[in-house]
Amino acid sequence: MKFIDEYRTKEPALALSEKIKSIISEPVKIMEICGGQTHTILKYNIEEYLPKVVTLIHGPGCPVCVSPVSMIDRAISLAGCKNVIFTSYGDMLRVPGSESDLLRVKAEGGDIRMVYSPLDALRIAKENPSKKVIFFAIGFETTAPANARAVLEAVRTNQRNFSVLCTQMLVPPAIEAVLGNPGVQINGILAAGHVCTVMGTREYEVLSEKYRLPIVVTGFEPLDILQGIYFVIKQLSERKSFVENQYSRAVKKEGNLHAKEIINKVF
Amino acid sequence: MCLAVPGKVLSVENKNEDLKMAKVSFGGIVKEVCLDFTPEAQPGDYVLVHVGFALNVMNEEEANETLKLFAELAEADERL
Repeated sequence: MKFIDEYRTKEPALALSEKIKSIISEPVKIMEICGGQTHTILKYNIEEYLPKVVTLIHGPGCPVCVSPVSMIDRAISLAGCKNVIFTSYGDMLRVPGSESDLLRVKAEGGDIRMVYSPLDALRIAKENPSKKVIFFAIGFETTAPANARAVLEAVRTNQRNFSVLCTQMLVPPAIEAVLGNPGVQINGILAAGHVCTVMGTREYEVLSEKYRLPIVVTGFEPLDILQGIYFVIKQLSERKSFVENQYSRAVKKEGNLHAKEIINKVF
Repeated sequence: MCLAVPGKVLSVENKNEDLKMAKVSFGGIVKEVCLDFTPEAQPGDYVLVHVGFALNVMNEEEANETLKLFAELAEADERL
């Protein structure tokens, strides 16, 4: 598929690997923020292409993993209520609460439906006027505009049986929490490309300056990750630290203004 | 969770004025996608889609720049 396959080819990966080896002079620790990037690193064995002195540290950027247990427990208790259809992205169904998980509630008879989009949850509400339909609105900045749009659409169409259990999170404070810990030694960061597609890159300039850290906004294909790592190491070797955009085919400096506007309006 | 996939806009629908929807093909699999955040998207454009919403129109020029750089790197690597 276009915009995907071209970023999975072997020759440039080998070339980037050589480039990295040619400029690296000391051990570096680089944190990729997003769980999607971690997935690519493991799936394509990216560490094989890197010198042993490069350590990749997997960051906090997975909303599924960082959701508080109390919120999962609330979801579980709502999903078990009579007359409720509980809708959720698929990846939340297996996440354990303190005593159960959503899949178990479903097995016990709870009406829990996996949806691909918050608009699907809204459609279910329209089709089931006698039920209360709850959508588990979870996510980082990437997902926030979609969840917000569904809320506005529910208001516009007066869909009174639709509500959201909201647990939206922001990435920069999570990065700052990591960097602010004196025990953490990180030399560079791969920022999450899709979060920046929405939010742009300005918030990261503050962090890069404050912690004198190269931050490279990076995509999700194997060549994106390798190039992101190369950019970080190149900055380090030149004693520079700034925000660089590896994922320029999808990320603009200002982000997506329509999406940002709707986030501000709803949350 | 933050997976987003590029797909090609096949057609833009005008059924619902408030919610701009389009048919988008992901390597042959066609899905309904909301274009509210990318009102500029036209049939033929590639959009980056997450949970049923296009987050951006893919920038061909920037993509080509990156690919050109990859090609140059691979070529230089071969010459070594």
